[in-house]
Amino acid sequence: MSLKVNRRKFLKMLGWGGAGTALAGCDMPTTVTLEEGKEEVVSYLMPEEYVIPGIGVWYASTCTACEAGCGLHGRVREGRVLKVEGNPSSPINNGNTCLMGQAAVQGHYNPDRVTSPMMRKGGSLQNVSWEEALAELNKRIGADSGLKADKFGYVTGTISGHQSVLVDELMEQVASKNHFVHETVNTTVWNAVARDMLGDETPKYNMAKAGVILSFGADFMGTWGSPVHNMGEYAKFRKREIRGVLVQVEPKMTLTGGSADLWVAAAPGTEGALALGIANFIIDRGWNTVDVPAEVRSSLKQYSLEAVEKLTGVPATKIKRIASLLSERGPSLVLAGASTTNIENGYDSAASVMLLNLIMGNVGETIEASYKFPEKSLRPKQGNTKDLLLLAKALRDKKLDVLVTYNVNPVFTAPDALQIREGLAGVGFKVAITSFPDETSLLADLILPANSGMEEWGTHVPAYQPEDSLLSFQQPLMEVIHKESKAFGDIMLSMLKMRSSDFNKFADYYGYLQTAMMNMPGEGTAEERWNSMLQTGLLKASGSQTALTPRLVDIKYDVEKGSDDYPMHLLPSPRLGMWDGRHANIPWLQEAPDQIAKVVWGSWAEMHPKKAAELGVKNGDYVKITSASGSIETQVYLHKGMHPDAIAVPLGQGHEEYGRYAKDRGVNPMKILDPLMEKRTGELASFATRVKVTNAHKFNLLIKMGGSESQAGRKLVRTISSDVLRRTEGEV
Amino acid sequence: MQVVKNSFLRDLIWSLRGRFRMKTLKQITSAMILVVAAVCLPATSFAELPVPSHIIPPTGEHVGEDVPQPIEFPHDRHVKDMKINCMYCHTYARRSKVAGIPPTSKCMGCHKIIATDKPRIQKLTEYWEKGESPRWKKVHDVPDYVHFTHEKHIRKFVEKADFPVEDVQQVCALCHGEVREMTVAEKKKPLNMGFCQRCHQANGGPGDCWKCHK
Repeated sequence: MSLKVNRRKFLKMLGWGGAGTALAGCDMPTTVTLEEGKEEVVSYLMPEEYVIPGIGVWYASTCTACEAGCGLHGRVREGRVLKVEGNPSSPINNGNTCLMGQAAVQGHYNPDRVTSPMMRKGGSLQNVSWEEALAELNKRIGADSGLKADKFGYVTGTISGHQSVLVDELMEQVASKNHFVHETVNTTVWNAVARDMLGDETPKYNMAKAGVILSFGADFMGTWGSPVHNMGEYAKFRKREIRGVLVQVEPKMTLTGGSADLWVAAAPGTEGALALGIANFIIDRGWNTVDVPAEVRSSLKQYSLEAVEKLTGVPATKIKRIASLLSERGPSLVLAGASTTNIENGYDSAASVMLLNLIMGNVGETIEASYKFPEKSLRPKQGNTKDLLLLAKALRDKKLDVLVTYNVNPVFTAPDALQIREGLAGVGFKVAITSFPDETSLLADLILPANSGMEEWGTHVPAYQPEDSLLSFQQPLMEVIHKESKAFGDIMLSMLKMRSSDFNKFADYYGYLQTAMMNMPGEGTAEERWNSMLQTGLLKASGSQTALTPRLVDIKYDVEKGSDDYPMHLLPSPRLGMWDGRHANIPWLQEAPDQIAKVVWGSWAEMHPKKAAELGVKNGDYVKITSASGSIETQVYLHKGMHPDAIAVPLGQGHEEYGRYAKDRGVNPMKILDPLMEKRTGELASFATRVKVTNAHKFNLLIKMGGSESQAGRKLVRTISSDVLRRTEGEV
Repeated sequence: MQVVKNSFLRDLIWSLRGRFRMKTLKQITSAMILVVAAVCLPATSFAELPVPSHIIPPTGEHVGEDVPQPIEFPHDRHVKDMKINCMYCHTYARRSKVAGIPPTSKCMGCHKIIATDKPRIQKLTEYWEKGESPRWKKVHDVPDYVHFTHEKHIRKFVEKADFPVEDVQQVCALCHGEVREMTVAEKKKPLNMGFCQRCHQANGGPGDCWKCHK
């Protein structure tokens, strides 16, 4: 029998139910909700003195949702972690967290976690015991395995602290150099420019000190650098006596762009030219505070206002306005992010941007020396996409026999054109240390279940250390949920014991870490230092500051020409929340609307309404986006915060695996990227792919929060026309 | 010191004070209870717990189901015979929203020595030696959308009212029934919204929805 309930019947039933409730009042027998003998209640066996059931205890740890290394406090009640907040003593996040940190508990309690070691037997993955899994691993990588040094590869994301030391130890034991460190969301090109032009890869960008920030696509409040730290700095920048002015130049409005006072869309890929144009104008007017060599002056001459306007599409008046803001409202700070740096001449674009910092005298003013952790082996290996290209090449050339991956998913994050999936098929034995069955680990021959970040010990040295040199300490917030999962450190020790007896003295990673940390220099006894680390979650070390040495580099800037077949620029835009797609299995983050498009639980393509009108598409219509390497189809969202020649598809969705919340949802723009390389750094030029966009003649309601974007003449928010505003602020 | 308002009682107390050289109200009350008990005991099989004078008790009765527990814990033995205070075992009641089931280590604190020949104690010892706690079944449960806190009730009715802690079972009994007459706990009061509401109205508890539903 089928019971059909339509809306009408449902409302009827609801009405009767309501009346029933009202009649019975508050004394109705509530057998449904007041149960006797249904729930179990288990006491502690022998509680710690400070543990009181019903009252939370806060433990300090470190967030592992991205690489920034924010300090956390986790509230633990009855042995379960319920909530995390920022650790106020951490100078990285000063007690704040972003939504990814807040939602990390859902990664921890996720129902799709890997709960047992699995081994490929007869083509399919089957649950096995740890003994069997480690015995097989020993056969492949143990001292007697005959594994050849250069045939062993290891892929991780950004890794630091003692976990990094253990990976280094293993690579040394095997004598292999194939440690690939891969992160899709990174600032590698900008860091390289900072290294060459300032003498420090990650100097301190002192936003609080700046009067004007000019950002070329650096989404510093979302996906650039250390977002939570930057947000705090940004707040100070806005609260200055004279409110700081933010100018954002980017082809797609990011979270940071949405907060800008002036948002400018230069033609995608010409941001470097705009920076040079601004520099030229500033020098021309004599507004530069640092002398510029004559040859630089003369080479900048070609970037006249007219030439730059023609190239970038940014009106000369706007260029003048930005230049005068830099000079009048300074000290200034100029930054560049993915849309400027991740193109084929990204290094030169970024160098053009950095040039502005040099001529405006920002070095030593708003760009200061940062701290470096004294113990070099603990410093981070920062992930990039160069290693992804190198991995793809190694796989293509069939150079690897054994490949270990740890919490990275290159099959998902790499363009299809790199053929990672096909390449992995040629690797004899693949080991995935992972918490989730993702696209990469499901291709493995052996899956080792890793603890969540809230279940294990670890140390993390953040790459960006603006205030102090520190190590952020990760301690378990609770016992493991799945008895069979193990800490990454423990798995590494097991692997090391297969190669060398030196490690037999460590019973587990906790013991290893304790020994290592207690041996580090500091005040008080070793035990006091250890206890203080447990309490504060931090180890502050008197780190050295690298003095900045500004110097000019040779900029060979030219704008790339596109082809007529693929007239538009594809922007695979990262966003706070989904990040590179690692958080797509967290329902809270799927539910959190995109900061600009307000779309939830899916993919979309952001387009300028003008371009959409040309194509004849409106909100919710599907478009087909085709590059030389493939095509995807998704719904459009029209937004004026786009350059008309660009189409943005956010990263994160389009998983073929990765659990119930992520699987078969949306599209992954990385898939159709052309395998282009940034010329100087070897990074993947992820913003360089050209596409053509066609109407797919299909429509579906675009699921987004926020409903109408028009005030329908009701003046809910008072606005002022830009002309009037400009008149009040003054024109150049 | 509790303020005694009733003039008859006050006179009685003063006269007792003089005659038996009793100093504290506690001594006097205990003596009075003893006298009352001596009078009442022959008449009934047990004396009903007195209702503390500063509380208007909530009304409503409930016939609880039999809930079998992993160990048939005798509350009567501990409370009535051994005179152990409720909050000796349910020690978190005054500090947390939950009263708490005593940790197994607390049971073993006594039962390493006491009554070790009894089968129930042997079963408990088995649990202890395995390093496990018994999985008790919850008898008094409110729905997840109700935020009830023991701590606030103990504070109002015991601490702030200067009610003697040694008599706290009189307060507990208002919602939990006379546990001292039970072996394993049974539900004797409905613990539904009407029950709570009536008591809140009579005793000046908060009436806002969100005080309990949050």
